[in-house]
Amino acid sequence: MIQKLWSGIKEALGIYILPTLSADELQRLFTTKYRCFRELLTANNNALEAMSELETALRDGRTFSMTFIRSKSTVVTVNIFKMIQNLRKMGDGRYLNLEKSFSRIQEQIDAVIDKEIIPVEGDWFIPITRVNRSMVEQTGEKMANLGEAGSLSGINIPPGFAVTASASRLFYLENNMYPAINRIFQQTDAHDIEDMLRRSEEVQQLIINSPLPAELERQLCYQFDQLLEMTDHDVKVAARSSALGEDLGRASFAGLYHTELFVDRDHLIQAYKTVLASKYSTRAMTYRLAKGYRHEDIIMCVGCLAMIEATVSGICYSRSIGGRIGTLDVFFSAGSAKGIVDGTKKTNHYTVERMAPHRIVDKALDADDAGAPLSDQQAVELAQISMKLERHFGSPQDIEWSIDPTGTIYVLQSRPISVHLLAAGAEEGVIFEDDRLLLHGGVTGCPGAGSGPVFIVRTNEDMVQFPKKAVLVVEHPLPEWAPLLKRAAALVAETGSEAGHLATISREFGLPSLLSLDQATHKLVNGETITVDAANRAVYRGRIEELLEQQGKRPNPMDGSPVQQTLTEVLKLITPLNLTDPASPYFRAALCETMHDLTRFCHEKSVIEMFDFGKRYHFAQGAAKRLVDNMPLEWWVINLSDGFAPEFDPVNKFINVTEVVSTPMIAIWQGMHAYPWEGPPSVSMRGMGAIFLQSTMNPGLDPAVASNMNQKNYFLVSRNYCNLSVRLGYHYAMIEAFISSLRTERYVTFRFKGGAADESRRVGRIELLAEILARFDFRVELTGDALNARVEKRKQSFLFGRLKVLGYLIIHTRQIDMVMADPQQCQRYRQKFIQEIEEMLSNDK
Amino acid sequence: MARYDVLVVDDEKDFRDIIVKKLEKRDLKCDSAPDGATALEMVKAKKYDVVLLDVKMPGMDGIEALREIKKIEPMVEVVMLTGHASVESGINGIKYGAFDYLMKPMDMDPLMEKLDAAYERKRIQQDKIEMAQIKKDMALPG
Repeated sequence: MIQKLWSGIKEALGIYILPTLSADELQRLFTTKYRCFRELLTANNNALEAMSELETALRDGRTFSMTFIRSKSTVVTVNIFKMIQNLRKMGDGRYLNLEKSFSRIQEQIDAVIDKEIIPVEGDWFIPITRVNRSMVEQTGEKMANLGEAGSLSGINIPPGFAVTASASRLFYLENNMYPAINRIFQQTDAHDIEDMLRRSEEVQQLIINSPLPAELERQLCYQFDQLLEMTDHDVKVAARSSALGEDLGRASFAGLYHTELFVDRDHLIQAYKTVLASKYSTRAMTYRLAKGYRHEDIIMCVGCLAMIEATVSGICYSRSIGGRIGTLDVFFSAGSAKGIVDGTKKTNHYTVERMAPHRIVDKALDADDAGAPLSDQQAVELAQISMKLERHFGSPQDIEWSIDPTGTIYVLQSRPISVHLLAAGAEEGVIFEDDRLLLHGGVTGCPGAGSGPVFIVRTNEDMVQFPKKAVLVVEHPLPEWAPLLKRAAALVAETGSEAGHLATISREFGLPSLLSLDQATHKLVNGETITVDAANRAVYRGRIEELLEQQGKRPNPMDGSPVQQTLTEVLKLITPLNLTDPASPYFRAALCETMHDLTRFCHEKSVIEMFDFGKRYHFAQGAAKRLVDNMPLEWWVINLSDGFAPEFDPVNKFINVTEVVSTPMIAIWQGMHAYPWEGPPSVSMRGMGAIFLQSTMNPGLDPAVASNMNQKNYFLVSRNYCNLSVRLGYHYAMIEAFISSLRTERYVTFRFKGGAADESRRVGRIELLAEILARFDFRVELTGDALNARVEKRKQSFLFGRLKVLGYLIIHTRQIDMVMADPQQCQRYRQKFIQEIEEMLSNDK
Repeated sequence: MARYDVLVVDDEKDFRDIIVKKLEKRDLKCDSAPDGATALEMVKAKKYDVVLLDVKMPGMDGIEALREIKKIEPMVEVVMLTGHASVESGINGIKYGAFDYLMKPMDMDPLMEKLDAAYERKRIQQDKIEMAQIKKDMALPG
């Protein structure tokens, strides 16, 4: 009884007196631990790799999807979970707090990634006359704006009704559509346009072929009949998309969804579903991806509006794009507005003063129509309407309108123009009037210059073939080509105007675009490199650097988007490292705040668990041996299984390197000793100051704290394996290698992080390291001041050579960040390193 | 000669057939089952080294099948296939003893790497147990 109590106390205090085990049992226990340790290190590798992929995605402005965030976060979490499991096995069930910390962080990550979709409840239909801005959650952005516009005196909108979010949600749920759609999406490769086209088709068919709930179908037809009674009896409707969840000020979603025109009662259901399905058109999917929207968050509502028999239609920008300050744009042509927004029709353009009495300052009649179908009086009325809408909505508006045979102006749509696009006014520059000039003319869609080989796109087939960074040349700027804008260097179209959808999207992506350029598809030849100066409406032969140099950085279309925010939030729970100093009393499982903390903790403790093995089990063979060496550093070796020569007497406390038979360790050691270390470089006073400042901010880096700085460095070895953790000077480095007879198993990895000195110095050193490593065939990933490098599956002799490179580098780059501020010194070191490494490697041959 | 035995469990026939064909090309001996229940019967009847198991199947789902398989044959290593990436589905498999998980669709190289690693783990475990058994046998008075 007393004995039991005593052992309980000891356990509580963390004192482990384990039963003495036989040599066999110990050996087995050791092998188990070793296996756990190996698995833990593999998991550690995988987790860190996924973390750095997530960080890189956020930094380099590439496009990423929710699927990417989800799958990489899963890789991180699952591997950390494995690390914890393995560590707990190694620690005989201790570290229970790790699981608690893990669950806590994991739940937080889950909550960020899988934000619940709030179901929408309410009416299925709302007459457009009753719709206003407050109903945006039910009717979508476009219909809410239109309903609101219609409530203003002097503004006419067509009669009709909105089919709400509740209705489409019901349709989705009844047909259990979200899981089916997600399943198709999960397997989409967004960079493969052909794949996108196929899957987009698959999802759209799924939606169109699913039945509408019977009651919803009945009521939809009833609504149509009501509309018939209100208007004349052969009314047809336009079924227009009105999506919910779009932030129109930031992202226009221009022309991405389908509008079905001239719909009668027989085709109403089909048209409704077609508009719903267009949420998954290739162009909408690509756009959402590029701008960082989640498809689950976007709900399609549909507006059914009576068709207006249009004699003339057009677009107004209540503040001119690229035109004079104080003016507004009126684009128009005969018939419906479709040709203008699709860019297939030639368009007339009036510039009108924003102030009453709205003088028309410029008339550009490009359309082939006989005469101008728009009277000056009507232009003034349009200007009044535009200004009224701008004042009401509080921002410049992009307004679509039609005029019927009685002369009544109907507003069909009013949406904000994002302000940063307005700022992008064109500055007049020079035109090079020499033989480089290929074409001159057209209208600027988005100013700027871009260069690349010409690629003319006419069909979906061409679209699939479109190479990155080519100049996209098309006849008509159709919204269908939107998926290519993210890859193109510039856009040139034969028709269209700045009012078209594609032009709008090109401005959002900061892609230089030139429209209405006659003969473009005939004069420009596939494959020929050209430079498009969109601002000055010129196309040149070849690449003209002076035009391209003036380019600012293209805006990242994902900036501020929901998907980007999600990644930023997820990363806050994954990457920050709070547990840096293992000697600190705060280095505890319960204090892990991020996934990175957990990996760091597990890794540190696993090394100790391996090392402690001998101590805890009185197992002399497992204990660390001090390596006999002349360097002023402590090197210790732990034999994991067959890393020491059989002659080595396990009683010895010291070991000579000749008694080590771990091939990867020998290679590292050779690299470390290939050239004598010169000692730290002399440092300018400024450099030293920066390091001391950091040292005071992080006590773990204080050179005065001997225990940290002169930490023992451990080689963990077996015949084919070596893991070396080093704290050299101020930084932390780890080399790990497994080089066996099986090629697919072989790998060499190197990680490097931290260090004193300010961020710019650390980054400078790491860039130097990265450059050298890349030069010697490593695959290098950089994230801030952390570096990951690896080579794998190569010839043994090659990999041993790379280990020598690493051995050399960890010794010789020691503390060089002290001189990073001095470019000349830095250059000198760089050359010295490369030269010596090359010499070292060539001695092998 | 086959390197080791694999059982592929997935309700999609096309997927199953393709994977089996590809794995056989890489010198693996490969059977397949369309659902969890069938898989359990097969695991009872024959010793497999590695099971490749879809998480999402009608009837008995992958996690349930995993737990049952581990009861019948604790030594077999299981690699889970998930269609939809989620932290939860990844972790659940590992919790119940799966070796690892893979997301569909997957390329052959990562698949082979996972399967080989799973087999390697199984082999080491088995060797260990066999060694212990041999030692025990040898210790017995002859």
